[in-house]
Amino acid sequence: MNNVDVEIKKIFLQVFPDLEESEFNWKKKQKEYENWDSFSQLNLITMIEEKFDISISDNDVIELQSAEMILNFVERNK
Amino acid sequence: MNTIIDFFRESVENFPDKIAVIFEDREISYRQLDNSINLLSHSLTHLEKGSIVSIYLENSIDFVISYLGILNAGMIAHLIPTNLMKEKIQKQLEISQSKLVITSKIFIDKINSISYDCEKTIFMESNYHKNQQNKLMKINNENAYLIFTSGTTAEPKGVIITQSNTIFTTKNIVNVLKYNESDVNILPLPLSHSFGLGCLHTSLFVGSTLVLIKNATNTIKILKEIEKYNATTFAAVPLTLNKILKEDENCLNYFRNLRLIITNSTSIPIKTVENYRDILKNGFLATYYGLTEASRSTFMIFDKLGRETSVGKPYNGIMIKIQNESSNELEIGQILIKGNNVIKNYWNNLEADKKIVDTWLLTGDLGHKDSEGYLYLDGRVDYVINIAGEKVIPEDIEIVVKVLTDVEDAVAIGIKNEMYGEIIKVFVKKSSNSEITKLEILSQCIKNLEPHKVPREIEFVDDFPRNEFGKIQRFKLK
Repeated sequence: MNNVDVEIKKIFLQVFPDLEESEFNWKKKQKEYENWDSFSQLNLITMIEEKFDISISDNDVIELQSAEMILNFVERNK
Repeated sequence: MNTIIDFFRESVENFPDKIAVIFEDREISYRQLDNSINLLSHSLTHLEKGSIVSIYLENSIDFVISYLGILNAGMIAHLIPTNLMKEKIQKQLEISQSKLVITSKIFIDKINSISYDCEKTIFMESNYHKNQQNKLMKINNENAYLIFTSGTTAEPKGVIITQSNTIFTTKNIVNVLKYNESDVNILPLPLSHSFGLGCLHTSLFVGSTLVLIKNATNTIKILKEIEKYNATTFAAVPLTLNKILKEDENCLNYFRNLRLIITNSTSIPIKTVENYRDILKNGFLATYYGLTEASRSTFMIFDKLGRETSVGKPYNGIMIKIQNESSNELEIGQILIKGNNVIKNYWNNLEADKKIVDTWLLTGDLGHKDSEGYLYLDGRVDYVINIAGEKVIPEDIEIVVKVLTDVEDAVAIGIKNEMYGEIIKVFVKKSSNSEITKLEILSQCIKNLEPHKVPREIEFVDDFPRNEFGKIQRFKLK
């Protein structure tokens, strides 16, 4: 794992405190999470913007529906 | 017809075999629902009439059975949102003096870890059969349900809604939005909130079918359910409506049977109103303005061009007045509401009761009317932040940020946002030599606040604008 992976995973575990580290899955989609609602989505994005010093537009936010999608987005834009 | 149970029973009589509620792979008819409600009520006979019974459940048929079963037993249903932090749940249980919490397997550990002492059980229908021998008397309680809202202090306010408030509001919704027994209503909003619960009442009142969905962000599921059940109405917050538009340009295909999309007031971007007016060929988008304390005070039906930013007009004897120095309702002032939808008092809270003056509710919302009496919202009198309809007091966030030793002081404000109405920005004054980062502050907020209360922006400042007495002037930070 490179550093971006580690940091994104850390952010997920923070935003979803009920998520066990062993259950974390890069491909798991937003709709498969119990509590990934629009506010949690914003919290993920705010943390990621702050951590990687990037800006994510509203249109892009909608597209980011799994940890993997977020990872790819950060790698492309950082 | 005097109570919620009375109007439910009327529908049971008129449509016994009709499906009342659908949730995932389970459906329940009016008659079956009535039976289940009776069983649950029997299981509560050991509690005194008028007791508060709390529900901590996600949208489900179990929620509906619990809610109606509590009312049927002459008790008051206290509805707790499932995204609430433990400390807040405890506070609500303490203020309400709840005697029992009904929850699910998923949440029982969280509920058991709360130190408030009362009975705590998992909803289990099969267990309720054992209690049938208990005698159930028909007991009406004028108080129906209790929902807590944010006040202007950190203390939550209990809003107690009566049977007559509910019946008045339900009839109002039915008359204005023309709900009828042939409707199939899609509801992805939590039943623990006034908006979602109002949709349940309406659906049961006219004898229609309610399709519950647990998660409002799962728009694919919502669209599929609309299609699967040939839904005629759909209730959603503006955020969900925007998400659907962005994700699926072909949503018209799903919406061809919809006669109504009902949303709530806080902030609907004009573009969304225009888009839905175009998309809904056989129906219309409507919104309302209301508070838990004064449910559905106005309605706005977007069936013709113009007034896209209005929340509409009051109906059926509800009165709205704009209070300002100029006594001119065309100018901005505080919105006051009077009518049978308005509560008489808060739950054991004399301080909050001061907001009800001569039966007029002082909403704390700012607004103005146009020359034809249509209402427009213009923000808040106080510093309560309104995020997509969720009211947040700045103090809640400030307390959490100020716990950090590297923070000397913090002030949270709401800043305008097209999608959410407002979002939270926190101004932080660091302690001397502090090297705290914005990310650390965000982490602290995520750990200790409900998801909608986490700030979107953080700015470090040397100090805050203050008046001559040293009091922080929040309005200057806006």
